[in-house]
Amino acid sequence: MTSTPMATALAVPILALALSGCASFSPDGGMDAVNRATQARTGAATTLLRTEHDRNALAEQLKPMLAQPLGADDAVRIALLNNRALQATYWELGIAEADLVQAGRLQNPAFGYQHKRGGGSTSIERSLAVNLANLLTAPLAVRMERGRFEQAQLRVTSEALKTAAETRRAYYEAVGAAQAVEYAKQVAGAADASAELAQRMRKAGNWSAFDQAREAAFYAEAMADVARASSAASAARERLTRLLGLAGTEGGYRLPERLPELPAAAPELADVEQAALRERLDVRAAAKEAEHTAASLGLTRATRFINVLELGALREREGGEPVQRGYEVTLEIPLFDWGTARTRRAEAVYMQAVNRVAETAVNARSEAREAYFAWRTAYDLARHYRDVVIPLRKQLSDETLLRYNGMLLSTFELLADAREQRVAVAAAIDALKEYWIADAGLEAALGGRPHGAAAAGDKPNEANKPNEANKPNEASQPNKPNKPDQTTGSTQHNAHGAHP
Amino acid sequence: MTASSNSRRTFLAGATTLLSAGMVSRAGAASLPEAPVHASAATAAPLVPPNGRPYNPVVTLNGWSLPWRMKDGVKEFHLVAEPVVREVAPGMTANLWGYNGQSPGPTIEVVEGDRVRIFVTNKLPEHTSIHWHGQILPNGMDGVSGVTQPSIQPGKTFVYEFVAKHAGTFMYHPHADEMVQMAMGMMGFWVTHPKDIRQHAVDRDFVFLLGAYDIEPGSYTPQVNTMLDFNLWTFNSRVFPAIDPMVVRQGDRVRIRAGNLTMTNHPIHLHGHTFQVTGTDGGWVRPSARWPEVTTDIAVGQMRAIEFVADNPGDWAFHCHKSHHTMNAMGHDVPTLIGVDHRGVAEKINNLVPGYMVMGDKGGSMGSMRMALPENTLPMMTGTGQFGEIEMGGMFTLVKVREGQARGDYRDPGHYRHPKGSVAYEWTGELPPAPQAPGMAPLAPAQGKPVDVKRGGGHEHH
Ligand SMILES: [Cu+2]
Repeated sequence: MTSTPMATALAVPILALALSGCASFSPDGGMDAVNRATQARTGAATTLLRTEHDRNALAEQLKPMLAQPLGADDAVRIALLNNRALQATYWELGIAEADLVQAGRLQNPAFGYQHKRGGGSTSIERSLAVNLANLLTAPLAVRMERGRFEQAQLRVTSEALKTAAETRRAYYEAVGAAQAVEYAKQVAGAADASAELAQRMRKAGNWSAFDQAREAAFYAEAMADVARASSAASAARERLTRLLGLAGTEGGYRLPERLPELPAAAPELADVEQAALRERLDVRAAAKEAEHTAASLGLTRATRFINVLELGALREREGGEPVQRGYEVTLEIPLFDWGTARTRRAEAVYMQAVNRVAETAVNARSEAREAYFAWRTAYDLARHYRDVVIPLRKQLSDETLLRYNGMLLSTFELLADAREQRVAVAAAIDALKEYWIADAGLEAALGGRPHGAAAAGDKPNEANKPNEANKPNEASQPNKPNKPDQTTGSTQHNAHGAHP
Repeated sequence: MTASSNSRRTFLAGATTLLSAGMVSRAGAASLPEAPVHASAATAAPLVPPNGRPYNPVVTLNGWSLPWRMKDGVKEFHLVAEPVVREVAPGMTANLWGYNGQSPGPTIEVVEGDRVRIFVTNKLPEHTSIHWHGQILPNGMDGVSGVTQPSIQPGKTFVYEFVAKHAGTFMYHPHADEMVQMAMGMMGFWVTHPKDIRQHAVDRDFVFLLGAYDIEPGSYTPQVNTMLDFNLWTFNSRVFPAIDPMVVRQGDRVRIRAGNLTMTNHPIHLHGHTFQVTGTDGGWVRPSARWPEVTTDIAVGQMRAIEFVADNPGDWAFHCHKSHHTMNAMGHDVPTLIGVDHRGVAEKINNLVPGYMVMGDKGGSMGSMRMALPENTLPMMTGTGQFGEIEMGGMFTLVKVREGQARGDYRDPGHYRHPKGSVAYEWTGELPPAPQAPGMAPLAPAQGKPVDVKRGGGHEHH
């Protein structure tokens, strides 16, 4: 019991234990951080389904949600939990964590036993071999795998956000497309009434074959439009179904009859750019990369800060470009006093990272602007339809009916107007749909955080009903710029903090 | 408003809205005669001449006659050409151009041989002129701008002076921007009375002009470019039921004078009496040349005076015999729905157009339907008599002949009270068998089914 080999044999597990203490399996497999990130950025939770039990629990959780007409936020919630591609991605985290834990563990020691017999003597040799190189490189391997694990967490989170955004888009497409079918049917209804009346006009001897054929042709074309709209609606719904990961009876979920109302007010461009710089994962990753570079180069003392966007502006001035005016948003990263730097290499490596942050920030701002302008145009257009086009069409219909009353116009003109009114309503629905899709796009460009849209997101839009007064949604508040998200930030710091 | 202009006249409808146009007579034109303005659309009482040669004044249907002043033996009138708002009927007004607050302008009444001086002030946004239709006068007073005179520019006043040589029925209207100014309602009546008050004397003498306008329902200003497709056919820019009745006493000798300033002819028809055409804008018709009529066609640009003895009491229709001319605004491209079965379809339409009501499937009659219309337009046909809907509009009114109507009283006596047994009534007794041509199948009783029309020998239509 006290022989030397035995002592060695005892020491090794202790060392192994010490190593694995810095990289053991977490109870959540890294999903907790992802969950917190999606909660913060989409308002929806996500979880890894490990067992049949988990899956059954989810099915139970989905049941009440699927019993109601689905709201946009519900759809995102379901997708984050139930989308199989996403679940597959979540397992990447498990793989990365396993690699991380594995890297922290020593290889199993090799145990040798030799029994020799000869010349009257018997020797027994026992040996315990430990991979020394493995032991020595373990901290480095753990550090690399931790980096990979962190990357996997970022990647999984961004996949989840992407799926959330796609689901939102698909949701609005599906609701809008179904609504368009309803209006195509009403247009066809007007054409049907015209065609039937025309047939009777013909039968009574009041109209020629020409007149009847003209009305019949309107109806025939209107029916073709219904078929087209129905086909588009079912395709849109199936795209959503796939993203929701629903099958079987769950595929029979219901959608609301109308798109949500247009929110009352719009965010400002400056808020949007600010939010993009603050919230986007790519910007955060690049900034973290620069931080890591600095840390690994041993540059720990920041003497001043450089403004990445000033750097960009400086270049613009050199290029003879006009200087940006109006407002400025900043993203500050540490810059070090290179006078005390030991090597030019350190400077070069660090400046590479700084420029990558700058590039990412410039791209993020540009993408945010692009998404914002698309959003703004869609918003204005949808509002124009709601506040101007639809009321005017309504007025036209009212006046047409008055003219019919005075026998100044015929039933056919009345029906033609009904057709036109519904075409305008369909265009209004399309504009509203485009708005919500642009809204999802803006959300994605800002790093996934719903910018106050969730409040209005589940309300069916009563204003789209024809012949009803359109009221702006008083409840919707102007969207506030996002608060910095502490949760997500600390997740990454925690992962980093475990680093030896 | 001056006391003198007020006391000169009373109004039948009681709406006394006579204003004197102080703005013209006072504004630096001391030599100009007064230019009275008349705003009411009611028929004014005849203007009894306060001075000059006596005459039997006319009654301008829903209009009035222009007062004058005598100056050195000359009758001086003052016409102001200006934009006006005319009530076509209660519920509808029209932005027209006219004279002294009305369209048509006031009737000018003079006596054969009168020297007449007419001041014409132009308050229109464009130049104008006045042609004295039918007058024999010096060429330079004929009012054809560019030909006989320079046009009267906005803000300017021109003077016309001539002798009213011949008694008769005339009118005045511009011959400047011809099409627009007449389409906008620039016209007025002119009567030259005979020197001898007994000559051509009648008990009641009504005058009006036939005018046509195209005013799109919901708008107020006539479409001046319309050529023939007018939607308002008027007597003195009024449509039935807003045209006053011509009230007469039984046994009165009645004259009705009408001038046509539309772009089509109007066969004017009187019920219950025969009349004679006694005058044109060319003068009086010799008695030997007159022939009895119940309808006389008034061609474009013509004047006609008809006369009859109102020997039959009652409410007698008086109207243009072109049936579309006894309708108000209506759609001219509305297809006929008569005989078209609406069952099922009407419900479909109602789902799409709330408030839809089937009309026209049994004919054009809208019965007592009172539906909302576009602003500033009138029902196609309206007016209610003692037995129900009259279902006429436009160029339609009544000649009301009453036994007890006092001389000079033009007030509407109300519905005619028919003597017992003198109104058509429903037969409730046994019906005689319908006469039948020999060899013909008996007529099938009406089933109320739509007629399945087949043309060209059984050719099938689908
Ligand atoms: Cu006529």
